[in-house]
Amino acid sequence: MKLGNGASRLGTVLAVLMGMTSIASAQEKVVIGCTATTDCASAAIAVEEGIFEKNGLDAELILIGLNSNIPAGILSNSLQIGGPTPSVFLQATDGGLDLVAVAGASSTAKETADTVAIVTRAGVEISSAKDLAGKKVGAPGIGAFLHVLFQQWLIENDVDPKSVQFVEVTFPTMSDVLQSGAVDAVVAAEPFLSRILSAGTGKVMSHYLEDLPEHQPQILYASTREWADSNPEALAAFRASIDEAAKIVNADPDKARGAISRFTKIPPEVLANMKLSVSDPVITSEQLAWWADVMNQQNMLQNEPDVDALVQK
Amino acid sequence: MRARGLLLPLLLLVAAELGMRLSGTQSMALAAPSDVFLSLLSAIGDGSLLVATRDTLTVAFAGLAIGTAVGLAFGILFGLVPPLNRLMEVTIEAIRPVPSVALIPIAMLALGFGYRMGIAIVAFACAFPMLILTRAAIAGIEPRLFEVARALRLSAMQRVFKIILPAAFPRIMVAFRLAAGIALVVAVTVEIAANPLGLGYGILIAQQALDPARMLAYLVWIGIVGYALNWALVGAQHGMFGRAGGAEARQ
Repeated sequence: MKLGNGASRLGTVLAVLMGMTSIASAQEKVVIGCTATTDCASAAIAVEEGIFEKNGLDAELILIGLNSNIPAGILSNSLQIGGPTPSVFLQATDGGLDLVAVAGASSTAKETADTVAIVTRAGVEISSAKDLAGKKVGAPGIGAFLHVLFQQWLIENDVDPKSVQFVEVTFPTMSDVLQSGAVDAVVAAEPFLSRILSAGTGKVMSHYLEDLPEHQPQILYASTREWADSNPEALAAFRASIDEAAKIVNADPDKARGAISRFTKIPPEVLANMKLSVSDPVITSEQLAWWADVMNQQNMLQNEPDVDALVQK
Repeated sequence: MRARGLLLPLLLLVAAELGMRLSGTQSMALAAPSDVFLSLLSAIGDGSLLVATRDTLTVAFAGLAIGTAVGLAFGILFGLVPPLNRLMEVTIEAIRPVPSVALIPIAMLALGFGYRMGIAIVAFACAFPMLILTRAAIAGIEPRLFEVARALRLSAMQRVFKIILPAAFPRIMVAFRLAAGIALVVAVTVEIAANPLGLGYGILIAQQALDPARMLAYLVWIGIVGYALNWALVGAQHGMFGRAGGAEARQ
């Protein structure tokens, strides 16, 4: 009788405890969504090396197919933190979604500028930005990161982006599309860039990121303002973890390659020769202002964004 | 006869294999059939393919069940009450052409990632063919059966279950099979476009991971799943209606 009582009481206590821990973990679980690039290396390392765990954060990293889906994922609370590009982030906030940047993921750097290039078709004479006027150029996503920065480069070289005919061409098909003559040039990035060059279907006209400023964000970590305001401890733990992980990524790229390979399923041999984006855990309103300025010149925003309010303190 | 039918696909597979091997291509969109097969085995072996199949089928079946139930109920209602049918005609015809995948952005914001979003969109896509075909099936019921119902003084419920459903059932079953095909297509599309789970997500991730063999393995598997689903439904239809159902099913 006593034993039975004790056992049932133990059972009750266990059930209550389990219920409590499941509620607690449901509240603290932070789901981070990123696309299959090397930009979220800091989050991948922080998961693999147990840095989030060490800082008391129960975090999970999930792979999102399209970057432009990330704001909706954050807003529906499927993701607590996501890694949008600044252009996707600013367009989302411009559209009225109440998101804030909470940390930086990666930023442009001179040493990684050669991972992106405008590649011209073999046999076409294009030697300067001006020659691109009237030409057909394939870009991986119209209005996406590479396309926006390429248009910025055109503007800085006194070429009206409207004089260039852009068509959407996915990375894997770029080499074939160049060869067929359907486009005169493509905006390509690694690891596809080196494959196009080795296939001889095109040659690099310009590593155009070299002409644009350094230390501008490529991917940033964002959450809803509500989540950031009501979870200051989780946010502090996230920031501390990303800070620590970013140092590892930049100091030990091979370790980062391993983590990225396991996260994105990109084969290690493809990543082996690839330069990783520079991890940069800081995001500032000045950086967002630069992006807002770039996007405004291309009429991509309806309103003037309040960049100070878009970075969580 | 059957063996001869397999000849062409086999020849094409061998040609593809030889083409890939001899050209030594490093394509990021194509893979040799043997690599695709090995990739399929490894995806089954590590369990990822089975989990993805479970997720996709959960979404497809739940959406199918909800969508066809709603479509059936309204189809019967509109079929039996012509004034209501005329009243709703414009509304239905205005909503019906909305492509189900156009609901993805809204569903993503309202429901978030996960089963619910996929199920809602699949249900939307399945409801309309069911509604339209059920309505048409009821319109096609022999009028004398209704006279019998009146003569027997059957209640509305009795009329639905004793006269209408049995008479319209073969055609409703066709509508169900049609909806089942749509369910799988829409479920996979939602996964490719937005939802991070299931077979569609598997294709997308394999493509982005520069692994065409795995991508094509998922594609082949989706084909197998779709074939199996149709085979099961045709079997069920044949079993239920005997030769009559089977004759239609073979069309």
